[in-house]
Amino acid sequence: MLTSKQPNLESLTSINADGSRYFLHPADVRGRFTLFRRLFGVLLLAIYVLLPWIPIGGHPAVFLDLASRRFHFFGLTFLAQDLWIGFFLLTGLGFSLFYVTALFGRLWCGWACPYTVFLEHLYRRIERIVDGDSTARRRLADASWTSAKVVRRIVKHGLYILVSLLIAHVFLSYFVSLTRLYEFMKQSPRHHVGVFGVMLFLTGCLYFSFAWFREQFCIILCPYGRIQSALTDDDTVIIGYDRNRGEPRGKKSDPDAGDCIACSRCVHVCPTGIDIRNGLQLECIGCAGCIDACDEVMDKVGRPRGLIRYDSLNGLEQKRRRIWRPRVALYTGLLALGATVMGLFLSGLHSATMEIVRMPGQPYYFAENLIRNQYRVHLVTKRHEETSFTFEVAGLPEGAIVTGLDDLVLTAEKESVQTFIVQVPAAHFKGTFSIELTSTVGPSGEKLVDRIDFLGPSPYLLSNP
Amino acid sequence: MKPSDPDRPSVILREHVYDGIEEFDQKLPNWWLFTLYIAIVAFVLVWVAYYQLPLGLLSSTERVERRMALIEARKQAELEATLATLNNETLREMSTDPGHTGSGKLIFESKCAACHGLELDAVLNGIKLPGVPLVDDVWIHGSEPLQIMHLVTNGSPDLTKGMIPWKSQLSASEIAQVVSYILSQKTH
Repeated sequence: MLTSKQPNLESLTSINADGSRYFLHPADVRGRFTLFRRLFGVLLLAIYVLLPWIPIGGHPAVFLDLASRRFHFFGLTFLAQDLWIGFFLLTGLGFSLFYVTALFGRLWCGWACPYTVFLEHLYRRIERIVDGDSTARRRLADASWTSAKVVRRIVKHGLYILVSLLIAHVFLSYFVSLTRLYEFMKQSPRHHVGVFGVMLFLTGCLYFSFAWFREQFCIILCPYGRIQSALTDDDTVIIGYDRNRGEPRGKKSDPDAGDCIACSRCVHVCPTGIDIRNGLQLECIGCAGCIDACDEVMDKVGRPRGLIRYDSLNGLEQKRRRIWRPRVALYTGLLALGATVMGLFLSGLHSATMEIVRMPGQPYYFAENLIRNQYRVHLVTKRHEETSFTFEVAGLPEGAIVTGLDDLVLTAEKESVQTFIVQVPAAHFKGTFSIELTSTVGPSGEKLVDRIDFLGPSPYLLSNP
Repeated sequence: MKPSDPDRPSVILREHVYDGIEEFDQKLPNWWLFTLYIAIVAFVLVWVAYYQLPLGLLSSTERVERRMALIEARKQAELEATLATLNNETLREMSTDPGHTGSGKLIFESKCAACHGLELDAVLNGIKLPGVPLVDDVWIHGSEPLQIMHLVTNGSPDLTKGMIPWKSQLSASEIAQVVSYILSQKTH
């Protein structure tokens, strides 16, 4: 049996002393966490692939239509003017991640991160099927280039590239929709060079990441792993080895030894090449492979499971375990505050937008004893059905005349620019004032409001020519 | 002693300690160093090619300006192509085609009716509107279809009247459609 490198606390297992890469070949592992992880991963993959297929409100469920700058989420449509929602989305998701991390550590990494999901449940499955278990893979890697090895490599990398192409195309469909993607695929790349280039680049990145780069991303590039020490404390649930129960390690028959029989199964299955018995480490992505491996061995030697388990650092030391603590209280408070602010702002979202702009030309016109301001009102509907608009103007002085604001009906996702004119008799003009235009949107009855100033000559000069 | 020296002990621990944190001296991953060196070389090449050599490579500002000039040229060409097909005869023909007058009516109602009235009489409920009636026999700037088209496109030469040049808002074909609608309603 070919031996693998022993992890130590002074260097990365996956990088040799001379800087070259030591490729890891984790052993097979079975158990309840592996099963649940695989099921969850398959569910996430299904969601990823199926969302562009599911039509909601006339559009795919998630369709980020960059070309027409409309972003469709589950029946809601957002325009470029709604970009501010992105702030809440990003900070909200980021902060929620911090909150979950404070409670459960690196749960995201091992269970939900797209990198892990693709790598573990697609690429490593292919590798396992084509190249066999970890022993066979190591033997093949060390073997000379026979025709059998060449064939295996071509088949494996061919499958890798195929899967990378598929993932890249699904990713594209979120931005151009499946119908347009299919059109693109039928045309020559010359007609859509940019999109084709994006697809090639994505495929290249995916292939490179999952065929070779693998755990290097998690260990060296990903910022989430590096900020763990700021987000977690001794009460965060992590994956750890129960030192008190396991030490000193020894043979099964040794009565003075702890529960750990030094089988090193936990080391063999680790995809980042650490020994969890050394304690919580940067490289650990929380895949729970070591838990399943150790539980399987514990079952065989007739000892209770849980020598390696999900627990907090305090829990592993048999100290009092707390869930509610100052950090969690603060995070909960901040999360509630953020959610409230977001809710307040979101309640101001409407299914249409209205904006008044002054028409180019003079700021005001004076004719027939009337002072006139010319405006344009820009109306956009985000709805997929017809939208009607009725208008009211407030803030006008006596005798004012408004023309151009007739009722309007816009068809799906259309916009229109309407002229409207306000005239005020010179006698009633007492200086610049603000008019407020309210539009009632049908059929929802929402009200859109915008204001603009009515300009005119100095009232003093008007009355004393 | 260099990290690559074979007589070096397996791990070097550096002397400094910050807040109890110490540092090993290990070789950086080769792939990390490689990408760093490539980035440095790429930077030098790009700097020389784009900013030092007269290779004709454009900066991003220049690329945008060239794109904008292309767009303007294309717009101008489209305008000239549309105008080339229009004369008094063709405009009068369009005014009999409900396809054109229908579209023209929609544009008129959203953009022109505020001043010229929905019935083109510049009156709303007995109130006189700022524009001039288009159904009488007074045509200040000419009553020929091309003259009307010119006025709509370029606005009133009298800047105090408030008729803006619509070429910034409407394409040439849209203006032609509005003019065809006006012609279809014209009585004099």
